[in-house]
Amino acid sequence: MLLHVLRLCLPTNDINSRQALPLDPLGPATRESMATGKLVKAFWRFGRPAQLSGRVSDIHAHGRLYASATVAQPVHSDIPGENRVLTQPLSHPDFFRLSELFSLKDLFEARVHLGHKKGCRHRLMEPYLFGCRLDQDIIDLDQTVELLQQALNFTAHVAYRGGVILFVSRRRQFCHLVESMARDCGEYAHTRFWRGGLLTNAPIQYGPGVRLPDLIVFLSTLNNVFQQHVAIRDAAKMNIPTVGVLDSNCNPSLVTFPIPGNDDTPCAVELYCKLFKMTINRAKDKRRQMNLLHGFLNPGSEEPHS
Amino acid sequence: MAGSRLEKFGTIFTRMGDLIRGGVVKAKDVPVWYDIYAAFPPKKDPLYVKPMAKRYGKVTVTVPEIFYKEDAVRAKFYAVYGTGPRAFELSKSNFISTCQRFVEKYSELERQGEVPEEALFEETGRALLAEGVMLRRRGGPSVSGKVAPENRDPVLGMRLKDMLSELQTDTAGKAQAEGEQVQGESTGTPH
Repeated sequence: MLLHVLRLCLPTNDINSRQALPLDPLGPATRESMATGKLVKAFWRFGRPAQLSGRVSDIHAHGRLYASATVAQPVHSDIPGENRVLTQPLSHPDFFRLSELFSLKDLFEARVHLGHKKGCRHRLMEPYLFGCRLDQDIIDLDQTVELLQQALNFTAHVAYRGGVILFVSRRRQFCHLVESMARDCGEYAHTRFWRGGLLTNAPIQYGPGVRLPDLIVFLSTLNNVFQQHVAIRDAAKMNIPTVGVLDSNCNPSLVTFPIPGNDDTPCAVELYCKLFKMTINRAKDKRRQMNLLHGFLNPGSEEPHS
Repeated sequence: MAGSRLEKFGTIFTRMGDLIRGGVVKAKDVPVWYDIYAAFPPKKDPLYVKPMAKRYGKVTVTVPEIFYKEDAVRAKFYAVYGTGPRAFELSKSNFISTCQRFVEKYSELERQGEVPEEALFEETGRALLAEGVMLRRRGGPSVSGKVAPENRDPVLGMRLKDMLSELQTDTAGKAQAEGEQVQGESTGTPH
């Protein structure tokens, strides 16, 4: 199984550099970058502990060429006490390869660009709008792609570190979908009436020592009377970051990672649910892989606690 | 557990950063998201924006209207023919409606350049007819909304009072005629 974890598609480099075998200390980056896979495999066979000093660079720059497994990285860090399992993903712009999950065309076909009518427009959503076609607001999908990428990346990192994610949506049409999606990725959902002190008065309402969510994801930021959901303000009060799908009639001011997009059409909401589920599952799988990798290559050290 | 509930001042990141810097939040209590936020901050800081009911000064339009050159042709099509003969099938993403076919044919003829500007519209209609698309005119744009007086249906000009008075004169006339007839007969018979 570990062989499967470390399987790599090796880039085509010049033949000379293939001489870099386990006994050779790592030199220039070119040799490193192509030989790592072979090196690590060779290490198990020869039973040598990982003595790889320099960092392997730029394998991720080639995006889709490489296998879905985590890249084998040296786990001993330069800084003592640093937990590489936690810090290493932060150095890559797209560690979980989330840009593969969706494209602008997918968003267009799921009708994410359709907003409400001109009269319902919120003043603060104007920067996110592409234009207005016969009084219907059209959301700028170029911005949506970028912001969705950022939001999914943040969600993945939170899930990677074992954070508690809460999905909130007050749309009764999608209540079942959101709840089943949350159950499928092992996280939590709240799609019913929000009692006043759920976050701000949690120790009284739930008992002492309750753990609050580390991220709240809103599939729709409005409640049933078209006012902003109380949880957005409460999450800002309790210093909990929020990710929210904002339609053209929503207020984007307190949402940490806004995603301008349609929150009314079923196909759009199904797309969001699918993307969040895949992101969180990917992140949790990678965490398990990294734990195994760290545990194997470094059997003496303790298990990293998230 | 220390916290700062002032959502209207700064962002969650700045407030948490200040708590950590001030030593109120210990290293073991730093939330999960703090390092992630530091590595991947959002494009725009999630600051609280006060809701302003009224906009002062000149309102600059930042959301442009989306119009295409073909919209002129579409408007004319809908004015002349109303909604096309075929209903829109919205479930198909590659669906081409009658209006869209018309517009495509129009732009094709325009590009070819053989037909003069004024006759383009008629020419497109004829071309589509040749292809088998039946277009029924709703009311031509060249004719003004009203029909010429001499072509109006005379029934439209009639009023109820006139109809009743006509009816009365008819019945009176008939009665008179009958009366005369009867009298005529009666005067005739004693002969």
